[in-house]
Amino acid sequence: MMAPGLLLLAALSILPFAAVVAMSFSRVHLLGGLRLEAVGADNWSRLLDDPDMAWVWARTAGYFAVTVGTEMVLGTVLAVFLWRLRHGRNTALSLLLLPMFVAPVIVGLLGRFLTDSTFGLYAWLLEQAGYSGDVMADKTTAFAAVTLMDVWEWTPLVTLIALAGLTSVPASVLEAASLDGAGTLRTLRHIVLPSIAPVLLVALLIRSMDALRYFDIIWNTTGGGPADATKTASIRLYETAFRFFDFGYAAVTGLLMLAVTTVVARYFVRLLDRNGTPR
Amino acid sequence: MSPPVTARPPALPLGRRALLRGTAAAGALGFLSACGGRADAAFDADAEPWRRYAGTTLNFVSENTAPTAAIAADLRPFTELTGIRVTIVTLELSALAQRVALDLASGNGEYDVVYADPYMVLAPYAPAFADLRQFQDDPALPRLPGGFGDFIPTHLDAAGRFGEGADAEKILALPYDSPTMIWQYRADLFTKHRDRMADDLGFDPMPSDDTTWEQYYAIARWFNDKTDDVAYGTGHQAKQHDALMCDFSNVLWAYGGRYFQDDARVGRLGTTDPGGSLLRSPEAEAAAAFYQRLLAVADPGSRTWDWDGVGAGFRAGRFAMCPNWHEFAASNEQVLPGKVGYARLPKGPARSAGMYGGTGIAISEAVPRRRREAAWLFLVWATAPDTQRANLASEVGGGTPTRTSVYEMPEVVAAQERPSAMPNMLSARAVRDAWAEENIGLRPKIPMWNECDTALYTQLSRLVAGDTSPAGAMRAAADRIDRVVARGWVA
Repeated sequence: MMAPGLLLLAALSILPFAAVVAMSFSRVHLLGGLRLEAVGADNWSRLLDDPDMAWVWARTAGYFAVTVGTEMVLGTVLAVFLWRLRHGRNTALSLLLLPMFVAPVIVGLLGRFLTDSTFGLYAWLLEQAGYSGDVMADKTTAFAAVTLMDVWEWTPLVTLIALAGLTSVPASVLEAASLDGAGTLRTLRHIVLPSIAPVLLVALLIRSMDALRYFDIIWNTTGGGPADATKTASIRLYETAFRFFDFGYAAVTGLLMLAVTTVVARYFVRLLDRNGTPR
Repeated sequence: MSPPVTARPPALPLGRRALLRGTAAAGALGFLSACGGRADAAFDADAEPWRRYAGTTLNFVSENTAPTAAIAADLRPFTELTGIRVTIVTLELSALAQRVALDLASGNGEYDVVYADPYMVLAPYAPAFADLRQFQDDPALPRLPGGFGDFIPTHLDAAGRFGEGADAEKILALPYDSPTMIWQYRADLFTKHRDRMADDLGFDPMPSDDTTWEQYYAIARWFNDKTDDVAYGTGHQAKQHDALMCDFSNVLWAYGGRYFQDDARVGRLGTTDPGGSLLRSPEAEAAAAFYQRLLAVADPGSRTWDWDGVGAGFRAGRFAMCPNWHEFAASNEQVLPGKVGYARLPKGPARSAGMYGGTGIAISEAVPRRRREAAWLFLVWATAPDTQRANLASEVGGGTPTRTSVYEMPEVVAAQERPSAMPNMLSARAVRDAWAEENIGLRPKIPMWNECDTALYTQLSRLVAGDTSPAGAMRAAADRIDRVVARGWVA
């Protein structure tokens, strides 16, 4: 009875993957029906003389570090605050989780409208505060803005996961620490954080996978600009495939993204194993 | 004693083999139905020509533009005339290009009528569209009122043809809209400050055929420094986007710069092999240097705006003038009634140039013959003079006629003056000047233009951000364009 499952898996994963690999060694013709023309390793060798690809990956790494780093720290801090909240925890949690339920494309559109210098609310508030520039016109502020939009949307997920870990910290251990005279910070550092480390690694794993594919918000706000300041690997992949219709090279970019994602995922899974989390 | 009961897995209502066979059959059925193409149109040979395809439903995929909005709002006359229903799918331009490309790759021919943007759709997929001359020459089919000759010649070439030799004779699309970049200015402010500006600047600031880009720059600075009526003198569409290429190209051509050696032909008829890029030329470099200077005094929001953004900024009263598509005249008139003037764009050392952004509608060659004929009826109706005139007055759209005869209609001529029931016509004189052979700005019509366009506007965005010099931007853009052209069209 494994056969239907295997067929389904093949249809959903293995066949598309094989098709993408085949495309990466081909010139893909669309006119008159899809047709692959073998070109050897041409598409792969283009990676080496593509003047923009290295910068695209450097920028992706920057986004990855800033968004995931901020979300992990902020999410954990918020979870600790919620954990220690005696009243209204459910209400606070519900409010905090709201951004997570908004589709990323809507977050991008909201961000674009709110920061628009003609009619945007945030742009107006910044102007009242003395900022005379345009958030999306400057490379640094545009980078910061799209990063903050991602942080706004996904920090609640980290908070939720971390809170689940915090609620499972044994009360007896916390009481023992308290009796031994450990203060709040010391308890957090030596008892709470080590206890929830495996859960935080799961959050890190989930967010890392997403951050590497970060697309919707950037595409709907800056489109990769200004001056390529927000052009990440996924934006480049989209352009190559669906603006230039160069599916061979897009397949190479996609496979590269898959490889990087797999390496990052494997690294975090190993860390999980080292922490003794059963799988 | 009862017989021993052996443990067996619960029986399935369906056997394993039957399940596998069923799955395979369903898959094959799905595959075949996906690859089967569409049924041909209904056809009644005894009916009169306009009614022969009654009962057919056509699919029309279009960019979400004003003419399509107007047509979609009033399809009833066409359905009453022909008995054909039309389903219109409107999309943002790049989404439209994707949908058309994937439709052509699938071979299904889902769309009978296609909004064939000359650069994103027509040039890359020219062989996928029917030569419309066959329908016009077919005595069994209704003909175009006024024939192909009633369309503005540059429009018919730029939006309707692609290729060289015999291919250039084919007509693959009928001009359907004609947005063109012109100078849009706050006439009320120019009138109010005319004398002061003339004294300060040493020339009459009112836009004319003799106004230069340097004077435009001086006017922009004057508004920045000398009045509080607006925050800035000029606004631009300088987001890292196709709009930036359009905005810059006006300056490039005015300064004598060219994309390729045979720019006029490459822009008008198109080619698959345009040769090497000429963006490294001193003229292109001078244009880039001027554009950088101009953007330095423009509204800082310019770097985040495409055409919609700059249009909204202008209507919000942020700046006194901007280059933008003439289709914005209708919305300008709604918000700033009587306050906006229109003129041809300023000239540079070489000429004045206004980017033409018109598009045609084409018939997919992938659909069966009768469907193509039914689609021809829609093309004839949608581009007919009466339909174009009705679109001009539409409350939801406001069109941009592509036929000479429409511009000669008395009510259309009258609409060029205020009060106007067809506000887009307020810009008609400026637009007609921009369409003159010596003024029209046609970007290269090559299949790989999307990638070249991206290379150029990315470098321009770097230039405007101060990341690179004018020469560096032009050189980098030319290098990338040469690489793209050398690789050829991939799809």
